[in-house]
Formats: sequence, C-alpha cells, structure tokens
Amino acid sequence: MERDQILEKIKIIVVSVLEHDDFDMKDELVATDVSGWDSLTHMIIITSIENEFKIKFRLKELNKLKNMGTLIELVQSKL
Amino acid sequence: MIFNDHILKPFINQIHKDLNAFCINEKYYSYAKFSQRIATIAKYLEESDELRIGLITNDHLDTYASILAIWIIGKTYVPINPDAPPARNQNIIDQVGIKTILDSKKTIKLNSVDFETSIKVLKQYSLESNYSDQLAYILFTSGSTGNPKGVKISFKNLASFIEAFLKTGFVLDHTDKCLQCFDLTFDVSIQSFLVPLIHGACVYTVPSDQIKYSYVFGLLDDHKLTFGIFAPSMIHFLKPYFDEIYLPQLRYCILTAEASPIDLVKEWAKCIPNAKISNFYGPTEATIYCTYFHVNLRKKLKGANGVLAIGQPFKGISIVILDENLRPVEKGQKGEMFVSGNQVTEGYWDNLELNKEVFVVFDYKGSPQRFYKTGDLCMEDEDGDILYYGRRDNQVKINGYRIELGEIEFHARASIDGKNAIAFIYQGQTGRNEIALCLETKNFNKNAILKTLQATLPSYMRPTKIFNLEKFPLNKSDKVDKNAIIKRFNFI
Repeated sequence: MERDQILEKIKIIVVSVLEHDDFDMKDELVATDVSGWDSLTHMIIITSIENEFKIKFRLKELNKLKNMGTLIELVQSKL
Repeated sequence: MIFNDHILKPFINQIHKDLNAFCINEKYYSYAKFSQRIATIAKYLEESDELRIGLITNDHLDTYASILAIWIIGKTYVPINPDAPPARNQNIIDQVGIKTILDSKKTIKLNSVDFETSIKVLKQYSLESNYSDQLAYILFTSGSTGNPKGVKISFKNLASFIEAFLKTGFVLDHTDKCLQCFDLTFDVSIQSFLVPLIHGACVYTVPSDQIKYSYVFGLLDDHKLTFGIFAPSMIHFLKPYFDEIYLPQLRYCILTAEASPIDLVKEWAKCIPNAKISNFYGPTEATIYCTYFHVNLRKKLKGANGVLAIGQPFKGISIVILDENLRPVEKGQKGEMFVSGNQVTEGYWDNLELNKEVFVVFDYKGSPQRFYKTGDLCMEDEDGDILYYGRRDNQVKINGYRIELGEIEFHARASIDGKNAIAFIYQGQTGRNEIALCLETKNFNKNAILKTLQATLPSYMRPTKIFNLEKFPLNKSDKVDKNAIIKRFNFI
C-alpha cells in the first residue's frame, strides 16, 4: 500500500476517535500537538489501526514511536 | 529533628558519591549536579519572605531541586500543574495567598553555585532544620463543594511516613533504579522520588508529553528498573501486551492509588517474576500510605469482591473500624475506617467546617486521640488484615435495601472476562434511584450479562441501564474517573 493511502486511512481513524480534525497530518505530528490525544484515546487509535490494516503491534514497537511519520513507517513495514 | 534525621541527613550522605540522582528524558543528572541546583534555588528563595511557594510541576531537574530547596529552608510547596485549567490553578493560588511561584523555565537561568558551596549550604541548613509542625506541602484534591480543598502536610507527617514506610520491608541501595510516573500534584510522587534519593538510587521520570503506559514500559524494559510504583489502571493499559512483557530485574512493585483487582495482579505477576508485590493504601490526609499488604503468590490472594486486601497499619498508625454511631464494629463486620497517628494532617487549608466534620476526637486505648474519618468501608479479618470494600458513599439505598455498588461491579466484571465495570446511581424515569452499569469493553452481550447478574444478585441490585465504553477515562491521578463516566452516561 502507498504511504499516502496509509496516511489517509490513519487520518480517518484519528478524526473518528478524537471527533475533530483540528491537526495537520504531517510526519512531525506528535500526540501532544493534538487536542484529546492521551493514553486512553491512544489505546483506541492503536487498536483501530490494528483492525483497519489487519496487523498487530508489539509494545516494544509502540514505545519507540516518535511521531506520525514513524507510525506510518511501522504500519507499512507490517503490510 | 525528625525531618533532618529521616530525610535530609540520609540525602546529604549520598551527594559525595559519584552516582546519578535522576534520569529525565533520557538524560542523567548526578547527585552533585542536583545538590548544586538545590543550593542555588535555596539561596534564591532566601531573599523572599514568603512561606508558601507555588511550584509549576514541569518534568525538569529544577522542579525536584526546588522541592528539596523549599524544604531545607523550612518552607512549604504547593504544586501547580501547568496543564490544569487556569481557573482551578488560580483558585489554589488565591486560597493559599501564593505570591512566589517557582518555574523551572525561569530557575534554569540562575547560575549554579559550585559543588563545594552547595555542600556547605546543605550542611548548614541541615544543622538548622529541626522542622516539625511547619508545613512541607499542601496538596489540593477535588472538593465536593466545587472548590479544591488543600491538605496540609507537615514535616513531622512526612518524616513519620518515611520512617514507617521503610519499616514495611523495603531495602534499597545505590544500585536501584526507581520509577517516578506520578503527577507531582499527587502525593505518591513524593514517595516515588524521595525514597530513592535517601538511598543514593536513581529516579526515572516520565515526561508529561508522552503516552504514559507506553513510555513507562520503555523505561522498565530499556533501563532495567528495579523499583516501580504503579496505579492498577496503568497496568490495565499494558494488559493486552502482557505476553510480551518480561521484567525479571524488577525487585519491588507497589500497587496503590486505587483498588487493585486480584485477577489483574495475578496476571501482572507473571510479567515480573522476581518482584515482591505489595498493595499500599492511604488517603492524602494520612500522608501517602498508611496500610500495606505484601502479596504471597503461593497462597490464595486475600481480598473482598475481587479487590486485593490492604493489610496492616503502618507503625505509628492506629486504625479503627466504626459503625455509624462511632462504635467499634465486631471483627468480621464492615464499618468506616478511621485513622490516627503522626502521619495524619492537622486539617484542610482554611476550611473549619470540613475539618470539624472529618476530624474527630474520641477515646482510644484509654486516652483521647484525634482520628481522620476516611469515608472508606473496610473490614478486619481474623488475621488482622484489613479488607477494602470501596467508598462509603458507594453505599446506596434502593427501596430501603442497603446496596454496595462494589458487589454489583464485582459480578459484572466476572461476566465480562475480568474487564472493569463501574456501577452508579441515576434517577430513572419515575424519579426513583436506579442502578446504571458501565462496562469497559468494546462489545458486550447485554442479555448474557443480565442473565449472569440475575443469577448472582437479588432483583433490587440489578442495573436497569447497561452501557459500555471501550476504555474508561482516567483522572490526573490515574484513577478511573467515575464522574466522567457518569457525564457520558447522561449524554446517552
């Protein structure tokens, strides 16, 4: 799957979990830049991404995520 | 001299050693550097005659240095969370009349004194620091009237806590690596950094801009931490990944801040095979913790309604369990827990009415003693261990029947594979009290749950509304935020 397609799908998930699109979907995006992105919604976003792409993350991969760019690369590496 | 003997002297004994005091955001800071920052900030504060100092709780070395600096000169810190609503912070500042606020973003500009000077400064203060009844900190917790209420903790309270805590069987040294994952507005944070610092151990903090459970696992795993204090809700976040968590180097695991579900503890224990697991209980009003229960995994875990026992009182703490008429209940009977001892606060900041209500004096073992009314429902079992039954205000009456919401939650949890459940009262269409139940699960089969509850609960205890949330919201102290759940319910 193309990187842009992955980005677009993740964006749809984040918007649906946080119920707003008040953020700029770029590689440098981090959770603290986005209103409402906390431990709780993070868990829901991660689970939704797993379901959407039919992949499974390991905790060791998740705690090394730096920003949106690394999340997209991680998803891509699992497809 | 109790503050000096139990806190300041043991800390000063570490600063000559070539050891790290903190690891903050993957950067290490030595005891020497930390001491220099303490002495620098203490000298700066000396110029102010303010007694009570606000402290912005940034995840920064200077924040921790500020706490020690405030203490060695006998002043009081009031933590202020920069992420809290400004109106709430202003309320706290106004209540206490705070004029001086320390912020690491500003103190960082103070040039450090050299190491030799810092030692001189600390030792000199140590000689003068016979603080006892002066306040070490004021922590604000949410109040039922809408205004946060400030709990005043003295140096005597704090030092009594440290002395009693160490007697519960924790042996630390300079090789220990300790987790500090609590917000500084919550008192467990103080145990998390202070106990390591008086043993020459290193404190690993969690930056506030990180996803906490994920970052905490990273610290435990990458840095091989040996001592961790956790809220059970945070461990609950890690539960989907338990099969890949293996932390053999963790020596001590303290569970605290809320009720510990026995099933969760059993599963978590497999991830930390060499750790001694303990459950600690305590209201802020009795300084961090006042009872403890060491888990013995070879035995059946003791508890009530699936919640781990809270065990025995700390040394120096007296606990009584009383009925509504303030008479002691028989062993094996439930009642409200009252706590007395040197760890109990002198009261809330400027709140005579509430102080009269929750601090009561009565005869105990032949002499009058002052007790704090905890609002927690407990029972002492035949071994003298205290079992925890939840909040007293969790007890409700429906149609004249006395109901423990904890019991409903217990059976609800059992029906959804041990996942979390919260029960609460709402006003039904007829205007009468009814029970609503919220399940922490993505999907659920309502009929199957109703069937289970029908099988375990009398009809008056069954919920009339059941709904679910994929994840329960947590408050700043990592406890399940029941009020937020009820708010969401009102939208449904």
